[in-house]
Amino acid sequence: MDQAGSMRLSYPASVRTIRVPCAGRVDIIHLLRAIEDGIDGVCVIACLEGDCHFLTGNLKAQKKVQYVKKVLEELGIEPERVEIFNFSSGQGVEFAEIAKQMYERIKALGPSPVALKKAA
Amino acid sequence: MSDDRPNASVMVVGGGMAGIQASLDLAEAGCTVYLVEQSPAIGGLMTQLDRTFPTNNCDLCTISPHLAETRRGLNIELLNLTQIKDVQGEQGNFKVTLISKPRYIDTFKCTACGECHRKFPDCVNLTPGLDHRAPTCMRYPKVIPEAFSIDMEKCKDVDSLVKVCPAGAIVPDDSEKVMEIQVSSIVLAPGAELFDPKELPDYGYGKFKNVVTGLEYERLLSASGPTLGKLVRPSDGKVPKRIAWIQCVGSRNINQADTPYCSSVCCMYALKEGIITKERFRDDIELVVFYMDMRTTWKDYELYYQRAKDEYGIKFVRSRPHTIDCDPKTDDLLITYTLEKHSQPATETFDMVVLSTGFRVPASVIELGEKLGIQLNEHGFVSTSSFNPVATSKPGVYVCGLFESPKDIPETLIQASAAACMAGKGFPPSVKKAGFDDQLPPERDVSAEPVKIGVFVCDCGYNIGSVVDVDKVASYAQGLRNVELAEVVGHGCSNESLQRIQQVIKEKGLNRVVIGGCSPRAFELKFQDCIRKAGLNRYLLEMANIRDQDTWVHMDKPEEATEKAKDIVRMAVAKASLIEPLQEVQLEVKKAVLVIGGGVAGMEAALGIAEQGYKAYLIEKTSQLGGVAPKLRTTWKGEQIAPYVDSLIKRVQEHPDVEVLLETEVESTTGIIGNFVTTLVSSNRKGDKKVVEHGATILATGGKEYKPTEYLYGEHPSVLTHLDFDQAFTSNDPKIKEAECAVFIQCVGSRIPERPYCSRTCCTHSLESAIALKETKPEMDVYVLYRDMRSYGFREDLYRKARELGVVFARYELEHPPELKNEDGNKLSITVMDQILGKSIKISPDVVVLATAIVPNENKKLFDMLKIPVNDDGFLTEAHTKLRPVDAPINGVFIAGLAHCPKSIDESIAQANAAVARAMTILARDVITLGGVVATVIPGKCAVCLTCVRTCPYGAPSIGEDGHAVIDLAECRGCGICVAECPGKAIVLQHFTDDQIIAKIDASVAVSST
Repeated sequence: MDQAGSMRLSYPASVRTIRVPCAGRVDIIHLLRAIEDGIDGVCVIACLEGDCHFLTGNLKAQKKVQYVKKVLEELGIEPERVEIFNFSSGQGVEFAEIAKQMYERIKALGPSPVALKKAA
Repeated sequence: MSDDRPNASVMVVGGGMAGIQASLDLAEAGCTVYLVEQSPAIGGLMTQLDRTFPTNNCDLCTISPHLAETRRGLNIELLNLTQIKDVQGEQGNFKVTLISKPRYIDTFKCTACGECHRKFPDCVNLTPGLDHRAPTCMRYPKVIPEAFSIDMEKCKDVDSLVKVCPAGAIVPDDSEKVMEIQVSSIVLAPGAELFDPKELPDYGYGKFKNVVTGLEYERLLSASGPTLGKLVRPSDGKVPKRIAWIQCVGSRNINQADTPYCSSVCCMYALKEGIITKERFRDDIELVVFYMDMRTTWKDYELYYQRAKDEYGIKFVRSRPHTIDCDPKTDDLLITYTLEKHSQPATETFDMVVLSTGFRVPASVIELGEKLGIQLNEHGFVSTSSFNPVATSKPGVYVCGLFESPKDIPETLIQASAAACMAGKGFPPSVKKAGFDDQLPPERDVSAEPVKIGVFVCDCGYNIGSVVDVDKVASYAQGLRNVELAEVVGHGCSNESLQRIQQVIKEKGLNRVVIGGCSPRAFELKFQDCIRKAGLNRYLLEMANIRDQDTWVHMDKPEEATEKAKDIVRMAVAKASLIEPLQEVQLEVKKAVLVIGGGVAGMEAALGIAEQGYKAYLIEKTSQLGGVAPKLRTTWKGEQIAPYVDSLIKRVQEHPDVEVLLETEVESTTGIIGNFVTTLVSSNRKGDKKVVEHGATILATGGKEYKPTEYLYGEHPSVLTHLDFDQAFTSNDPKIKEAECAVFIQCVGSRIPERPYCSRTCCTHSLESAIALKETKPEMDVYVLYRDMRSYGFREDLYRKARELGVVFARYELEHPPELKNEDGNKLSITVMDQILGKSIKISPDVVVLATAIVPNENKKLFDMLKIPVNDDGFLTEAHTKLRPVDAPINGVFIAGLAHCPKSIDESIAQANAAVARAMTILARDVITLGGVVATVIPGKCAVCLTCVRTCPYGAPSIGEDGHAVIDLAECRGCGICVAECPGKAIVLQHFTDDQIIAKIDASVAVSST
């Protein structure tokens, strides 16, 4: 992510970042809390598969994201709002590209139903 | 300048990987280090690579933390742009005269903001040389020291240049400085340069644009390179479809280039470049490697070679092409080559050709060697003895890395640590001072204070200030809850601003600090150190990354960027309101080392520890010291091994600080780095027990020769292994003396499906033995049947000598191994398919020597007890293949010798020396500090479900005596995986608690109440 910065690649300004030491630290409650807060989409950014800085954290994160997708589906919220992507810390170009794609995906889905309800 | 320092001072010459490692080991062991580097930055060759084999990890990601450490080792004085002018004196008292070139930049003020570089790219050096687009590209973004340097000769408008620096750091009247420094010993790590292929005009380098060197290709692949990692060929920017590598360019070449030795690394780097290219382009690209022998001898390298062939489909052609031609219309390149079996040459067309250039010692380094009066070999590298592998001919001067011989990174780092061990010898522990204390003020107890946050917003020159309105961000932050003060600090990381921050912390009684500036990856450590110096616990800091994640990526949207900066600062303040000081636990260090294994590596390690002034326990499970070495005849350099081993055993037995325990094994062990308790049990007398306390452990459990079941071994008395041969030769056995024909068969038990690794030493061993036979009896017919002749480094000289003496080399393939038969009258006969003749040849040898594999000794119980994993071949795993080749994955445990991987005796000794240096970094300290960002268990919530035990990648959690999970602080790396997995939420990751993370999430949407 910082590599995208070092390379001065632009991506949508609506991206906000929460730093964790490893994707494996990301908990189901964190993802759900973000949705509950009315955030339109959440991504977990993890190391490449097989190349996790902490060996297995990215795989654990993958499972949690899949679980949260299921929960959202049951709640009638589009599961596509939560996603996990794998990068190496050198892949700034790829990150910027995925950030744009995710932004387009969320834009197409429109505001989160939670946010709409909150507004109403 | 060194009057007030203890005289345990060492000069390290060269700031590449070797010099950095040696400096870190020495400084951590309490020595004062002067690190002299002629260029403006440290890091050397490794900072220019894209990725490193065999893990293919990003190179800069791998090396950056290592480089950053040099800034924290407080006993390292970095002398950049500096060279040695003269050396006087002797071991214990060298007087070194140094000359420093002017940098024209005050490193105290420079923050590496890049403003001068942007406006005056031609006269500002980011890093020196090699890249054809340097210095206009960010090749090495985490440069140390974090400062630019100016080339004043290229600058036409000095006044404007000076004005452009927002920190006022440019000093136009800077001048050359001469200084004299007194040191006790010197470590030489000046590195080598790459061969310039222009010396081989037939390859057209410099003439044909699409002929590049391996390093240039690496720059093309690198995300920080001139093409931002896009692989295009230089002549026309076309994406290549076919690329060839030519090996041994400027290596193993006596005709045109005077470099007869093998450069040892080029096979692996060509494979790496090929694999990375294939990973990106898969079937869209065709890669061919032209080579003579594939030399993949180090740990796990053979596997890499096989993967390159089988998994990635890289084509290998055994041929050394003579000429490269260029089609001027298409810029395509034509390679003409001849295959072994064919007499007619073939021609193939490629879009690009990569020349795998080898190492050479630069003239300036040879000059340095001469200045110091050390002996160099005929290739210009330093002459060393196998038994003291990092000592030069001049006492007190040591060598490591490429100046000793061509080698890759792990071997370089082993030698660097070994040189640190030797250079740090002879100082009693009392004069050394581990450099971590730096007279810090006591920590202020903030527990009873209300939260008072200080927010400091950097403009970072152009970097932040030109996009975001920093004043607006600061005044917004001032209104946030818990914020006592918010202000703009210019370049927050400059020493001036750091002092300002410390002053404000004290004046306003701040107890939390938020820095609105760069990435925590850049300067978190620096700001942590800053607030610690102001009396705050170092964890009372939160970074708000408004540069890398805001202004750098939203340059064209200043308003949105300012809003985002406010959000980022608000999120950081929300977290900062909840952060707590973290306690670090201190444990007393036990000043002794347990060495397991009494072979050469173990004995050298134990003796090394004792010579550094500490106690060593050396345990050996058999009844005698020596291991496998006494059975070997000579080293590859021709030194007799037995007398060396005898004298080593004697020195070990006589040293008062080495306690030798024979017929002894480990029964159980507990504890952590700095503080192990091990119970030893004797196998001879009714199981006597002894409990020892030690700060570190060195594993030197050794390996042995594979006893073959193939090739009539054990059935025919004239079929010998290498060790059998060495003994028979030494004892003048008639079997050898009367033989008229001898055959060596290589790769017996190595590089086969059951045992896929290369045993590294057997090619050289056969060469030594074949030469000895030819020298004692020139009329004897001597054959070597091989697959690839792997005489790496200067061992290539032996290969050439053997051929000159008339030893016949015949290559066989794995699919058609030689057939050895016992014919009538107990006469041996061998049939082998010769690849050059394309026919089978039949030999009737009197003696057959099998170059059998090296296998590790069986020690599963011990390794399990110590929790040290082994690789698929049974060799011990190191903490990091590349950067920590001596450290085991468990902190405080080190590895040396054959237990790690097959290696020659000089390499084992170097690793044993290195293990001593690494152990010294622990023993030099009085206490070990643990804790910080680690996971801790809330006992009441723990249901003992074992999820954390199963989940942790490092085996840190276990179930303690009190019936709940406990986390071993020494093993916890703070990833937080167990925290997220724990179903009872019974584990907390300090500094990344659920409350803190959720506060940040909430703050990202809510416009916080003021």
